[in-house]
Amino acid sequence: MATQETLPAPTSTHTRPPRTRSTTATRAPYAFIAPFYVLFVLFMLVPILASVYLSLTSWVGLGTPEYVGLRNYGNLLTDSSFHKALVNTLIYVAVAVVVIVPVSLLLATALNARGLRARDAFRVVYFVPMVVSPIIVALIFSLVFDQNYGLANAALKAVFGVGSVDWLGQPTVAKVAISLVMLWRWSGYLTIFFLAGLQNVPKDLYEAASLDGAGWWRSFTSVTLPALKPVTAFVAVTSFISAAQIFDEPFLLTAGGPSDQTLSVAMFIYRAAFQRQQFGYAAAAGVVLFVVVFLVSQAFNRLLGIGRTK
Amino acid sequence: MSTSPRLHRVPPPGSPALRPRPLSRRDALRLGGLGAGASALLAACGSPPSSPVTSGAVDLGFWTHDEGYQTFFENGIPDAEAATDFRYSLDVTRAGAADLVTKLLAQAVAGRDTPDVIGIEIGQFPRLQRGDLAERLLYDWTDHVAALGDDLLQARRAPYTKDGKLYALDSDTPMVVYYLREDLFSQYGLPTDVGSWDEIAQVGAKAAADHDVALGVLASGSDLGQIVQGYEMLLRQRGGAFFDADEQLVLDSPEAVEVLQFAVDGLRSGFITTVNDFYGASVQAGLKSGRIAGMWMASWYSAFGLKPNVPEQSGAWRLRALPTWSGGGFATAAAGGTGFAVGVDQPETQAAADFVASTWITPEGQVRRFTELTYLPTLRSVFDSPELEVPDEYFGGQQVIDVYRGIVDDVPDYYQSPDSSILTDVLSGHLISAYRGDETPAQAIKGAIEDFTNQAGR
Repeated sequence: MATQETLPAPTSTHTRPPRTRSTTATRAPYAFIAPFYVLFVLFMLVPILASVYLSLTSWVGLGTPEYVGLRNYGNLLTDSSFHKALVNTLIYVAVAVVVIVPVSLLLATALNARGLRARDAFRVVYFVPMVVSPIIVALIFSLVFDQNYGLANAALKAVFGVGSVDWLGQPTVAKVAISLVMLWRWSGYLTIFFLAGLQNVPKDLYEAASLDGAGWWRSFTSVTLPALKPVTAFVAVTSFISAAQIFDEPFLLTAGGPSDQTLSVAMFIYRAAFQRQQFGYAAAAGVVLFVVVFLVSQAFNRLLGIGRTK
Repeated sequence: MSTSPRLHRVPPPGSPALRPRPLSRRDALRLGGLGAGASALLAACGSPPSSPVTSGAVDLGFWTHDEGYQTFFENGIPDAEAATDFRYSLDVTRAGAADLVTKLLAQAVAGRDTPDVIGIEIGQFPRLQRGDLAERLLYDWTDHVAALGDDLLQARRAPYTKDGKLYALDSDTPMVVYYLREDLFSQYGLPTDVGSWDEIAQVGAKAAADHDVALGVLASGSDLGQIVQGYEMLLRQRGGAFFDADEQLVLDSPEAVEVLQFAVDGLRSGFITTVNDFYGASVQAGLKSGRIAGMWMASWYSAFGLKPNVPEQSGAWRLRALPTWSGGGFATAAAGGTGFAVGVDQPETQAAADFVASTWITPEGQVRRFTELTYLPTLRSVFDSPELEVPDEYFGGQQVIDVYRGIVDDVPDYYQSPDSSILTDVLSGHLISAYRGDETPAQAIKGAIEDFTNQAGR
């Protein structure tokens, strides 16, 4: 009884167990960031796990998926179409990283030049292709690249006297055509990033280089490039990721043809799922693409030190 | 040392602590939220089963990719109401041909409303041939149309048949004919009545050499379906096919190589020219310039290809039956079409089936379809209807139905496979390769079969 008597009496039936200020303070941040994690789980983690599960099944899009183990992955290994898609995607990635990124940097350098008139107008002009609907882009370039009546061949004929290039029908040339459209479409967008980076390079570095007798090229390689390393790394990685998932350009210009010679992996996935009703197979290709993009991006991140401070 | 009631951990029965306390505003909000959430969850889980609608007002979900079909069926409501006990209205959804099938599957997976009536473009039906999709989603018309017997052309049942069951009713008997510019044929002294493909190839080669004019067109652009279609029309007329009734590939045939050889030779001689696509700027430029003076194409091409692209050439064109192949074959082939299907196991299934049947496969409906949409009947008997004998001024007043009547009894069956799109993808590339001379016709056909085998059945 003595023990009972020492128990504190509840002051009210509504009284809750006492909560310390420190507990509330500890939980509050989690509550604030909870929406992100809920959305992340719902819209990222669950779809990824569902894709992995689906890749182990055979599913036509309705009904119960049939578990087939690793058969879809085995089929990918022997599918010549998937091999072509991988090689083509590699080419698109190379074009994006090795051609488009440097061209964007050069464009940005030109736009950053002192005394350039109508700088803003140039920026808009270079940026416009990125905001034009891909459908319009495809319509315009299918007319430009028309073998019989296209602008490209007409220009070639006018300048060089030859002009019957099958831009979208000849395998190698079709890849070149798609690469040109990528260049036209992406370079202006990437230029904006480089331009922002260039405008943050301290002017006194150039003045110091100039006093040391450095010319334009030496200033570019010794001042501009090192200063732009973080921006370049970001642009290179995002370009890689975009090119690895390229869909619009080959889908709208060549539909992956001729003979899958311009097919990308993203198109391969779309085709398997939405034209052939092979959702398990498409999911397996999607998982492969995801793993490759993830690993290479991580490698890029480590190599280029993205997000790290000295 | 009395024990204070405040020290009791468990209040005695009837004490104020056990009486229901009044709901606070916060509690009410919580309960309300929980109730709303539970209701939404239950609603999402499914709706209670509805009993079939057998008469009265019915609102049919109607999905199509073509406004023309929408208008046709809306105009057909009075006929349907006269023939049934229903009062119809249509809730129309329009989307791209491929998107309709994708949306149908997505709705079915989500357990949401699927359409009561859906127009499935012929190239999209193979997607529903995969697994048991057609059986699970579409009404089986087989018994419904049994009374029509052979009058409903088998050639137009075949594309929408799986395992012997008919899942859609075609919009057209799109027979392939030969379109020719009579004025140019006359100007260049070319005969318009050549009987065989060999003869027209000879005439065409000379015309190309003398006048830079082509008498045939093949597609070689980025639309893989069109690339295949140009070749397929000739192949089917020759007696070849892509798939048989069991969905098995039958491309490996002498006819396939022979027809491809014919096309390649035609391209070499200039008798045949290539365009990026059959409908856009490329073919329009060829037609307007007079470089294209003839082409084989399906019946609907007059409305969707010639008339929109070169209206100024009205009166100059004629159409005739295709030349024949010396090795045999058919009088024509069929290319294109849209099958109208009805959703199965829905409250409105019977109402929808009656609606389509009473507007789409009646003689009156098919005459109206011809006059409104220019699509040819799928009922053989309707071809003899005098109401179809309408002169077409674009073809110099020609009664085009006369041409179609003459060949409708010799249309080959057109079977599809769940792997049809794979064949289109692989064959298109090899056809282009053969057209360019990178492969011989035999190599191209063999290569297409090998690629198909490599990709099919995944």
